[in-house]
Amino acid sequence: MQLLLSSVCMALTSAVIGFAYYQKQQFYPAVVYITKSNASMGVIYIQFFVIVFMFGKLLSKIFLGTLRAAEFEHLLERFWYALTETCLAFTVFRDDFNPRFVALFTVLLFLKSFHWLVEERVDFMERSPVLGWLFHIRVGSLLTMLGILDYVLLIHAYNSTLVRGPTVQLVFGFEYAILLTVIASTAIKYVLHAAEMRTDTPWENKAVFLLYTELVIGLIKVVLYILFVVIMAKIYALPMFVFRPMFFTIRNFRRALNDVIMSRRAIRNMNTLYPDATPEELRQSDNICIICREDMVNHSKKLPCGHIFHTTCLRSWFQRQQTCPTCRLNILRTPTVNSTAMPRQADEAGAAAAGNPIPAAAGVQPAGGVPHPAPTALVDGNQARANGNVAGGQTLPPNFADLFGDASGLPNGLPSPAGLQIPPPPVMPMLSPFMIPPHFGYLPPLPPPLIPQDLTNFTDEELRAMEGHQRDHIVQRLKLLQNINLMLDSAGIMMSEYQSLAARLQLTAVTPATAVNGSADSSVYDMPSTSATAMAKLEAHQVTPTAAASAASPTMPTEKVTIEDLGADADEDDIPSTATEAVSIPNSDADFEEHSSELGELRKRRLKFLEERNKSAATTESTTAE
Amino acid sequence: MAGSALRRLMAEYKQLTLDPPEGIVAGPISEDNFFEWEALIAGPEGTCFEGGVFPARLIFPTDYPLSPPKMKFTCDMFHPNIFADGRVCISILHAPGDDPMGYELSAERWSPVQSVEKILLSVVSMLAEPNYESGANVDAAIIWCEQRDEFNAIARRLVRKTLGLPA
Repeated sequence: MQLLLSSVCMALTSAVIGFAYYQKQQFYPAVVYITKSNASMGVIYIQFFVIVFMFGKLLSKIFLGTLRAAEFEHLLERFWYALTETCLAFTVFRDDFNPRFVALFTVLLFLKSFHWLVEERVDFMERSPVLGWLFHIRVGSLLTMLGILDYVLLIHAYNSTLVRGPTVQLVFGFEYAILLTVIASTAIKYVLHAAEMRTDTPWENKAVFLLYTELVIGLIKVVLYILFVVIMAKIYALPMFVFRPMFFTIRNFRRALNDVIMSRRAIRNMNTLYPDATPEELRQSDNICIICREDMVNHSKKLPCGHIFHTTCLRSWFQRQQTCPTCRLNILRTPTVNSTAMPRQADEAGAAAAGNPIPAAAGVQPAGGVPHPAPTALVDGNQARANGNVAGGQTLPPNFADLFGDASGLPNGLPSPAGLQIPPPPVMPMLSPFMIPPHFGYLPPLPPPLIPQDLTNFTDEELRAMEGHQRDHIVQRLKLLQNINLMLDSAGIMMSEYQSLAARLQLTAVTPATAVNGSADSSVYDMPSTSATAMAKLEAHQVTPTAAASAASPTMPTEKVTIEDLGADADEDDIPSTATEAVSIPNSDADFEEHSSELGELRKRRLKFLEERNKSAATTESTTAE
Repeated sequence: MAGSALRRLMAEYKQLTLDPPEGIVAGPISEDNFFEWEALIAGPEGTCFEGGVFPARLIFPTDYPLSPPKMKFTCDMFHPNIFADGRVCISILHAPGDDPMGYELSAERWSPVQSVEKILLSVVSMLAEPNYESGANVDAAIIWCEQRDEFNAIARRLVRKTLGLPA
């Protein structure tokens, strides 16, 4: 198509010239003839544009190779805009409209096109995995050439304006100045990209450099545009043709400014608020930065929600948004705790935040078995923590109260270590059928766990169903045993969580003494959130037996400490009470009446879960029992 | 060393090639530009799109994964959440802040945690369960709501078309 057009054009031109020469037979008369004839001149002009176009093609072949489809599309789009603007410019300078003037504008458009192309090409550097030396030679030489041309033309325009006063050269001078800034920013980008490619490690500060380049160049451009508009408005008329580019420039500048401000804020936050992730924390997590999907070896930061990222990845993300990429916790609105018991300010007391502590705190009460002073402290601490940590009701990190609430599934607190010292129940309790000796054999070496809380729910029929020696009865008993087993498992998981918490407490420079002595509220503040997924699992009661089993074994040593942590002074009362079911059950009964609504909900959930788990297991268990 | 966006895309490509999710194939159109991908999505089983293989194009921004890619089906599609020109309109592809339909939760929006795989899986589930409230294609949404048989018939025609079978 292009070839056809150019050959048609070429043929026309030769025809025109040949005809003129044939008519006049001599060179000068022929030239005069052509210049006098409008039709001939039209053909010559078209030929001129075709030649310019072909020259452009040639240059782009030399310096850029084959244009990509996207590049060509963008070029075309910008070219049409520039053409319309040029036409608008003609209206301002209609007085000195002559071929020379058109030629100058053509050259300007021609050069502009190459500026766009090289800009696009340099942006492409970031996208392409492999770039040969040819690319660098091409881009380098094109940048140099364009820069020199811009400079020469700018100086020419400047001189001619000085000599002849304001003419159309003013526009050109200004346009070339703008193009020079474009070349400057492209060159800087090129250097930055090339420098990054040469190093093996990602260059962390490149984004910042790019940002500031953008800002400075944007500022220069804005100043140039404003100057130009003011000068033009004074000398000629308001230059309509620069409004569109000026608008875009100002918008880009504003964006760059905004980016820089955001970036600075993000960097400041990162440097001051968030601690560097320690090697231990890196080992605990899966060690992959979720933003760049690469290993985190150094320079990682930990957010208040416990998620860890590369410092640079986090910084570039914070430039856009001030949320945790994983859980979307708003980091600007969540003052971080400096890991020494500093109460968090309640800044997002959403409904979710307010709603959460109540069931959690309610869970504490029955766990204690008997009324004790801890609950109020726990509730307060819980509230503060929940408020501080919950943004939009997402991922409430568990705290002691929550865990304890879960633990209420276990009868009256945490059995195993306490159980070591517990003497066997002196009096056979009323509900002794549950404690038939054979059951002991199935349980871990420690004394048996105590009867589950939901025991109080059993009707007489259910109890009777478990009493006999027939198969059904045994099945019932096995079910109960399984309940107990499950609760143990969940306790094990909980303990492992406690253990990791305790480890963190020590990491975060809280002395063990405070951890142990400190009443519930201080430990609540201290506690960093643990891995959200594990906790969510726990809270949802979706404890898989395997996980429980794996988690259970290492927990034993720390259990003692955590109990002291947890129960505060109430534990002393608890332990004896837990030992004898006869005492504890009436107690929890009373508690149930007090907190019937929340507890009922809590218990229903737990029972439902247990039932589901049992359904599958019951059949196999019964066969083995047979 | 290349830019971080490029490295992450390479990592995702590797991941998708080594362990492809069922019914999804995706990769760069050309190895020298990792920012334009082609994806083939199999219509989810048990839906009116079952059996179809729908080609789509993913265009990644240079600041990926900080900004979401754009996704566009390159075949004819008729679906409440796909614009007539093939652009996919799901919340995972929108950065928080811009909300074309004005109701999306920020929790469902783009974040660097998302990936090509998750996008494509979301698109598969979108094919299975259109969200008629956010009508990118209002006609399709209305037909989906009111004349399900008609919708299914159109979808099956599209499936045949993507497979190159006569309608």
